[in-house]
Amino acid sequence: MSSRGYGPALPELHKRLRWVAIAVLGAFALLVGRLGQLQIMRGDSYYERTVSNVVKERYLPSVRGKIVDRNGVPLADNRPAFNIYITPNQVTADSKAELARKLGLTDDELAKIDERLAIGKLRDPKSPVLVLEDQGRDRAALVEQAKAQLPGIEVQHEPYRYYPQGDLAAHLVGYMTQMTADEADKLGAQGYDSNELIGRYGLESAWENYLRGKKGKERFAVDARGDRLDDATAASLIPRERVDEPVPGANLVLTLDVELQRIAEKAVAHTAAAAVAIVEPKTGKIRALVSKPSFDPNVMTGHLTKAEYTLLMSDPRKPFIDKTLRATYPPGSIFKFATALAALEDGQASEDESMFCTGEYDLSGTHFHCHGTHGAINLLQAIQKSCDSYFWHLAERIGLDRIADVAREYGLGAPTNLGLNGDAPGRIPTKQWYDQKSHYKAGYATNAAIGQGDVEVTVLQMAMAYAALANGGTLYVPQVVERVETHDGQAIIGFEPKVERQVKTPALALDTWRRGMFKVTNELGGTAYEHGHVEGITVLGKTGTAEVKKHHKEDGERDLDRWNPNESHAWFAGWAPADDPELAVVVLVEHGGPGGQVAWPIAKQILEGYYTKIHPVPFKDMPPVKRDPR
Amino acid sequence: MRRGTGLMLPRATIGMSRWRRFRAAVDWPLIATMLALCTIGLLNLYSATRGVRHHAKFDTQVQWMIVGAIGFVAVTIVDYRAFVRLAWYGLGAAVVLMITARLFGHPTSDGSHGYTYRWLNLGGLGIQPSELAKLMVILALAHMFSDSEASAYTWQRLAVQGLALLLPIGLVAIQPDLGTAVLLALIVFTVGFLAMPNVWPMVYTMTGTLLAIPILWERLESYQQNRILGFIDCNVAKAKTCWHTTQSIYAVGSGRIWGKGFLEGTQNQFNFVPEHWTDFPYSVWAEEWGFAGSVFLLAIFAFLQVWTLNVALSARDRVGAVICVGVAAMTFWHVVVNVAMVLGIAPVVGVTLPFISYGGSSLVTFFLAMGLVANVSLRKHGY
Repeated sequence: MSSRGYGPALPELHKRLRWVAIAVLGAFALLVGRLGQLQIMRGDSYYERTVSNVVKERYLPSVRGKIVDRNGVPLADNRPAFNIYITPNQVTADSKAELARKLGLTDDELAKIDERLAIGKLRDPKSPVLVLEDQGRDRAALVEQAKAQLPGIEVQHEPYRYYPQGDLAAHLVGYMTQMTADEADKLGAQGYDSNELIGRYGLESAWENYLRGKKGKERFAVDARGDRLDDATAASLIPRERVDEPVPGANLVLTLDVELQRIAEKAVAHTAAAAVAIVEPKTGKIRALVSKPSFDPNVMTGHLTKAEYTLLMSDPRKPFIDKTLRATYPPGSIFKFATALAALEDGQASEDESMFCTGEYDLSGTHFHCHGTHGAINLLQAIQKSCDSYFWHLAERIGLDRIADVAREYGLGAPTNLGLNGDAPGRIPTKQWYDQKSHYKAGYATNAAIGQGDVEVTVLQMAMAYAALANGGTLYVPQVVERVETHDGQAIIGFEPKVERQVKTPALALDTWRRGMFKVTNELGGTAYEHGHVEGITVLGKTGTAEVKKHHKEDGERDLDRWNPNESHAWFAGWAPADDPELAVVVLVEHGGPGGQVAWPIAKQILEGYYTKIHPVPFKDMPPVKRDPR
Repeated sequence: MRRGTGLMLPRATIGMSRWRRFRAAVDWPLIATMLALCTIGLLNLYSATRGVRHHAKFDTQVQWMIVGAIGFVAVTIVDYRAFVRLAWYGLGAAVVLMITARLFGHPTSDGSHGYTYRWLNLGGLGIQPSELAKLMVILALAHMFSDSEASAYTWQRLAVQGLALLLPIGLVAIQPDLGTAVLLALIVFTVGFLAMPNVWPMVYTMTGTLLAIPILWERLESYQQNRILGFIDCNVAKAKTCWHTTQSIYAVGSGRIWGKGFLEGTQNQFNFVPEHWTDFPYSVWAEEWGFAGSVFLLAIFAFLQVWTLNVALSARDRVGAVICVGVAAMTFWHVVVNVAMVLGIAPVVGVTLPFISYGGSSLVTFFLAMGLVANVSLRKHGY
C-alpha cells in the first residue's frame, strides 16, 4: 500500500512545488494588496465613515417665541406635546402595521405618515421623521408600552405650538406647517431640521427668524441597532462638546387688543364674509384686524385632515386670503373723500354750493343713475345722503387725475407696508393707466369719483386713510408689532409710529369733509343714522355700497347660506370720538348689501363695545346706577 | 530499518533519554504556530464579544480549545496509517451522519435564508457532520493516492472513487451549505493536482466541473445566488448582503496602518458587522490592529502553510505526504476564502478562519487536522 524507502515520499509534490509556491504566494499577495488598498490608500475615508456610523447628532428643539397682545394676552404659545417619530431605515412593514392597529390610525393619517416618510427617506434614512405631531397622552402611552414590537418608532416629548385664542385674529397670527421637500432642502442649510414646523402664514411666517430661536444640538453615540451607548463610551468617542444648549425664540408683543378683536369678531359673526380694520389714528397702530371666514390655526398646525383641507380650499369665500390687506374691493362711496377733498383743494367746490340731483346724470350720451332723487343739495348733504350726482359733477370739473392724486396721497393704490400676508396695492386708475390699457373715456372719472369702476382698495388702506382724515392729515404706516422681547421679557427692538407722509389737504377742506361725516352718523337723513346712532360718544363715519361685477359661477362652486356673489359690498369707514379720535374703524361686509344698513351697525356695535367694556365713558342718557340702600 | 517497534528517532538524538528523544521528535514549530493562532483567536474573540449579550462565547471557546487540544494529542499518538486504512469507512460514517442530520436534525432558521440542516444534536452538543467530512475526505484522498504508479490509476477506479467523494460534497451542497461544498471540492482538486502521478484526469475533471457551473447555478437557492450576485454588484442583491460586505470593508479600512487599538474597534464593538465572531473575525482584527496586524496574522497562516508542506515534503511515506497536502489545502482555502470575503473580494459564504473563528466544530476540526500533520511529522523517521 505504501511506498517506503529512500527518496521523496511524494515525488509529484516535489515536481509541482513551483506551482504550489506560485499559487500560495499569488493568493497571499492578492490579500495583502487588497489590505493595503483598503487600509493604507483608502483608510482615512473609511475611518471617517466608521466614525459617522457611530456618532449621531440630534437637534434639541428651541422653544418658539410667544405672540401676545398689548396687554400680554397670548395669541400663540407653546405647550408640551407628544410627537411620534419614525426612522425610515429602521422601521419595518410589520411595525408600521402594528402601530396602525394599536393606535387605530385613519387612512388619512396613514397617508400622511407615508408621505412624510418618503420625504424623510430621501433626505436621510437614518434620522427620525416626525410623522404624527401632537398626539394625545393615550396614544403616546400605547406606543411607549409597545416599544419592543415597534422598532424604528419612538415618541418624543416636545414643546408644541398652540393658539389659545383659537381662530381669533387667525389671519394676523398665522399658523405653522411641516415643510415641503423643496423647503427642507433649502432651509437645511440654515440649520432647520426637516421635521420642524415653519411659520406658514401671518406673523408666524413674517417673523419666523425672530420667533424660532436657535436650535441646540446633541451629539451621541449609537451601536448598529441605533441604541444609544452610555455616556462614558460616548465621551471617549466624541471629541467636541456633546450638547449645545438651545436658545429660545423672541416674543412678539403686538399692538392688537384681544378684547377689542373679540368684540369685532362677534360683531361680524352673523355675516358670511367680512373684514374689519381698527387702528389708532394718532399712531397708526392696529388694534384689531378681522378677516372672516377664518380658520383655526390649531387645526392648521398639523391636525388638518384631507377632507377639511379640501372643504376649506373649495370655499368660494376664500378663507385663506386675508381680506383686510390681501383682497381688494371697490370702495364705493367711502372713496368720495378723495373727490371732495380734491375739488375743495382746487377751489372747484364749496360747502355752500347747491346742486340739483334729478337722479340722473348725463355725460356725452351716457346715462348714470344716482341711487336716489335728492333734489337741491349742498356738499354736506351730498356726503350725508351719499348723493352720487353731486360727486359726478365735481369729477367733471377736476378730472380723474386729481381724484387719483388725492387718493394716492392718502395711501390708496399702494401697499400699506405692514409686511404681512402679501399686502396688496389695490388700484387707483389714472388717465395714463386707461390710455395704456385702451384709451381713456370721460365716464371713467365719473365712476372713479364714487369709488366704482376700476378703483380697488384694501380694507387696511381705507383704515389708514380715514385715520389720516381723523388726525388732521398724517398718514401712518400701519404697525402691528409693538416690540420684540427675549423670552424673559427684555426688550430687543421697540417700534415707534412711522409716518408715511403728511398730506397737503388744507385744514378747512378736511373740516368740511368731517362735518359731512358728522351728518352721516348723527343727523336725520344720514345714510348711517337711519340704521342706528351711538349715544354718549360722537362717531363720524361714511357708508359705502359698492356694486360688483356680475359673478360668473365656476364649475363645482359651492352655494353658501347668506352668500350672494352678485350683491354689493357694504362699507363703513369712520372714527370716534369726533374731536379727539381714538379709534378709526373700517368695516367691509363682502356682498353684504347696503353699507348703512349692514356695515354701520357692525361698526356701531364694535364702538359701543369698546366704550363700555374697554374704555368706558358715561353715557349721557344712561340712568344713574341705583345703589342698594344697604 | 525495523518495523512496528515504536518511534524511530533522528540520528542526532541517539544516546539521549527517551523523553528527550520524544521531545525532539515532536513538531514544536507546528504547536507553537497553533498556540499563536489560538492566542490571537481568543484575544480577538474577547474583543468581538465583549458586549454583554455574548459574554458566554469566550468561555465556550476556551472549553472547545481544551477539547481540541486533547483531540490533537490523541490524533498525534495513533499511527496515521491506521486512520488511512479506515478512511473510506470514516467517510461512509460522515455521510450517514449527514443523512441523519437531514432526516432527524432540526432545521434552524436565522431569518435571512430559509432552513438549513447543518447541525446534528448529539447529547446536547450541536455538531456539524460536514466538518467531520472534511477530515474524512482528506484521509480518503490519502488512501486514494497511495499508489505511486500512474498505471494503478485506472479510469474505472478513479470514477468509482470520484463518485464516492462526490456524495458527501453533494450532501453538503443540498444542506444547503455552499461554502463548505465548494471548500470540499477545492480540497479534492488541490490534492488531486498535487498527488496524482498523471495529472491529465484532474484537468479533464476540472474542465468538466467548470462547464457544469451554469447548471449548478440554476440549482442554487436564491439567497446563495444573491450573495454571489451581491458580490458582483451590490445593487442586485438585497441590502442585507451588501450590509455585511460594506460594513466589513469599512471596518478593515478604518484600521489604517496601526489599527484603532485593542477593544477600540467601533465597527466591531457596536455590532456594525453582523456575526463578526464567526465569519468575520478578521475584520475585527484588521480594525483593531490595522495593516500591520493584518499582515502579521496572514504571515502566521503563511508560515503554517509552508510548515505543513515542509512536513509533506519530508514525510516518511506517500500516505503521510498526501495527508499533509490535504490539510495544507484545507487551511489554505479556508484562510483565502474567509479573508477575501472579509475584504470584499469574494462572496459572503460561511467559511471560517482557522483557530480564529468562534465555533466548536471548526476549532476541533482544525485541531484534529493539525494532529494529523503532527502525526506525520512525528513518524517521519520511522513508525
